[in-house]
Amino acid sequence: MSPRAPRIGEPCRHLVIEDALLVDPLSGRHGAASLVVQEGRIAAVTWARSTQAAEDRAVVVMPGLVDLHAHLREPGGEDAETIASGLAAAAAGGFTTVCAMPNTVPPLDDAAAVRDVLARGRASRSPVRLLVYGTTTAGRAGERLAPMAELAAAGAIGFTDDGAPVDEAALLRHALEYAGGVGRPLVEHPELRALTRGAEAHDGLAATILGLAGWPVAAEAAAIARALAVLAEVVRQAPSGAAPRLHLTHVSTSDALGLIRAARAAGLPVTCDVTPHHLALHDGWLGGDRRYAWEAAEAPWAGQATAAGPYDTATRVNPPLRSPDHALALWAGLVDGTVDAIATDHAPHPETAKRVEFGDAAPGIAGLETALPLVLAGVAAGLADITTVARALTAGPVRALGLAAHGVPQPGLAIGAVADLVVVDRAAPWTVHAATLRSRASCSPLEGSRLDARILATVADGRFAYLDEDWAGATDR
Amino acid sequence: MTGPQPWRHRHLLDVAHLTAADLETVMRRADEMAVILRHRGARRASLQGVGVTILFYEASTRTRVSFEAAAKRLGADVVNVAAASSSVTKGESLVDTIRTLEALGADVIVMRHGRSGAPYLAADVFGGHVVNAGDGWHAHPSQALLDLYTLRARLPGGRVAGRKIVILGDILHSRVARSNVWSLTTAGADVWVCGPATLLPGFEAWARALPADRRLTVTADIDRALTGAHAVMALRLQQERMTAGLLPSLAEYTEGYGLTATRLRRARPGALVLHPGPMNEGVEIAPDVASGPTSVITDQVANGIAIRMAILELLAAPR
Repeated sequence: MSPRAPRIGEPCRHLVIEDALLVDPLSGRHGAASLVVQEGRIAAVTWARSTQAAEDRAVVVMPGLVDLHAHLREPGGEDAETIASGLAAAAAGGFTTVCAMPNTVPPLDDAAAVRDVLARGRASRSPVRLLVYGTTTAGRAGERLAPMAELAAAGAIGFTDDGAPVDEAALLRHALEYAGGVGRPLVEHPELRALTRGAEAHDGLAATILGLAGWPVAAEAAAIARALAVLAEVVRQAPSGAAPRLHLTHVSTSDALGLIRAARAAGLPVTCDVTPHHLALHDGWLGGDRRYAWEAAEAPWAGQATAAGPYDTATRVNPPLRSPDHALALWAGLVDGTVDAIATDHAPHPETAKRVEFGDAAPGIAGLETALPLVLAGVAAGLADITTVARALTAGPVRALGLAAHGVPQPGLAIGAVADLVVVDRAAPWTVHAATLRSRASCSPLEGSRLDARILATVADGRFAYLDEDWAGATDR
Repeated sequence: MTGPQPWRHRHLLDVAHLTAADLETVMRRADEMAVILRHRGARRASLQGVGVTILFYEASTRTRVSFEAAAKRLGADVVNVAAASSSVTKGESLVDTIRTLEALGADVIVMRHGRSGAPYLAADVFGGHVVNAGDGWHAHPSQALLDLYTLRARLPGGRVAGRKIVILGDILHSRVARSNVWSLTTAGADVWVCGPATLLPGFEAWARALPADRRLTVTADIDRALTGAHAVMALRLQQERMTAGLLPSLAEYTEGYGLTATRLRRARPGALVLHPGPMNEGVEIAPDVASGPTSVITDQVANGIAIRMAILELLAAPR
């Protein structure tokens, strides 16, 4: 019988990846090796004798990626995404764990809603692990606390009103205190909304030239400064058994990272993530520039020599795409360890919410399927080494949010472990087209752009979650 | 300056991409139109049978009437759509509106919209030509072109290159200022933008980012800005800048940045005075300056029709 391609969801009975670059953030080891999966487990890893030129291997194997920030929109936003389509997109992007945001309609502010989403995840039969947050406040209204203990008992891994910050400082304090008592992190969307009313674009060159209302850096930095001051107060007052943890999501500015770096040096329990689009893209994309942030740093405004039309609403996102210098600062934060995780903030929207005037468009980028290629483009440009980004996509988020307590395995490639990994070819260019993506939404600013890295296979919990149909490497033998 | 060249733009959405040769082409075509306009009732049939729909999402009298007069002088079939009286208030999307207007026979859509970039969305779905008649804070191409035309007509020697031209007032929220920065720096002028610090954010960085052959200076110091100026363009100040906390009061603005005869004495003798209208006389410009001997404000209005005829013909006349 001739070999046949395995189907999604089937156990990974036999998979051989020869002569690839293996990156194992758990052991810290990385080099050229071959890896064999048998019956869903890593059966053999044979490291090449010479580690010379290991970096030249186009094919990379790393543990399955963990996204601590994705909007799957179900329930209530199924025209943009469903749990099934979102998990399929995640698998196609190399993710084996996805933490879904609770700003659904209705929001996940009671235990039944959390249990319902988790049940829908199981019903999707995706091998990708689905975890969920509960909201910080009832109805995400920012007025009183959500029932955090009940939400946690139902499975919520933490609390967030993401999409919105907790504006009221006293409530933010109580949320940190109470979440600490429940043993869960509080995930804050740092935005001082008094500074972003009507804001459309990063308050920089692109906004000035395009006539868009500026979204100041200070809106993020001020929100973070306030949150850190409140956190310090909560830490001082916390009773034993109620240690607070604060995670700041989609941090986008150099100024904010400076504050976080200082807070961590002072021992505050704060972690943070950055998105692939804030790492790789920049505000010039609003004007039609299609260079990566590191290519545009020297000459930020490409002026008329642009590759695309201006005002593409796929580039509208919260926080906004920043200037290239901020993107470079995020890479520096990754390298020095200030940034714990890379998270997609996958935020799909239906076409009706995006095919409108720029300032009226819903903010959000569908990023699950382009995250790893974008980040690897930065690695190829020398902004960080591959182990650093692999850690930020796997072990980093697991540690930042304490996901081991929720059944997420420690990301590694040890012999005997259940296979949970992604295989990516760094030299297999493809062009992003909404029609070929798994996500229901078409809101990617990369539409029509070429990416060099292509995901070949994703194995989650010992099962095939994604397989490139053109990849000859995997057959069920 | 290079001579006119064949027009190669399908839409007029912005001024930034117009070359010096493009500007020259528009100016020369406007000269032809000015000749026609000097003869009462004279027409030119270059847009005979062409449907021009004027779609305004913001209140405006002068720009709308100017485009309408221009289109009619060229023989076009003109339809006026005021957004307040259309299905816009019923929540129809811009994309649907444009498709509907196309189906109703529009070949050209002249569009005014409160959101920066809206004409790009229209151009993306429309099979004909889009003329941006002002979008948000972004661009007002026909205004910048008529300003350039007026300056060329009235500056000694007709020369704009090397002349110090000051744009004064609410720069931040002004599409007129942005478009004039592009057209005037392309024409080689020494452009200054001046206003209170709350109305200038971002422009200093823009000036620094421009290539050396574009001269843009940004200052809150009005005396420094006006000194030696060949022309001064005052911008309208909106009442809502006070309620938004950007300015303490109209009186304080007038005191600090109103264009008065005394202030204007810092400029060169005979310095031209421009205003895109509508004016708040006694606020951003003193009445005696607005109607003074070097004011070219009524020229701007008259030239506007010639420029808009030139734009419509260049874009939409059957070739």
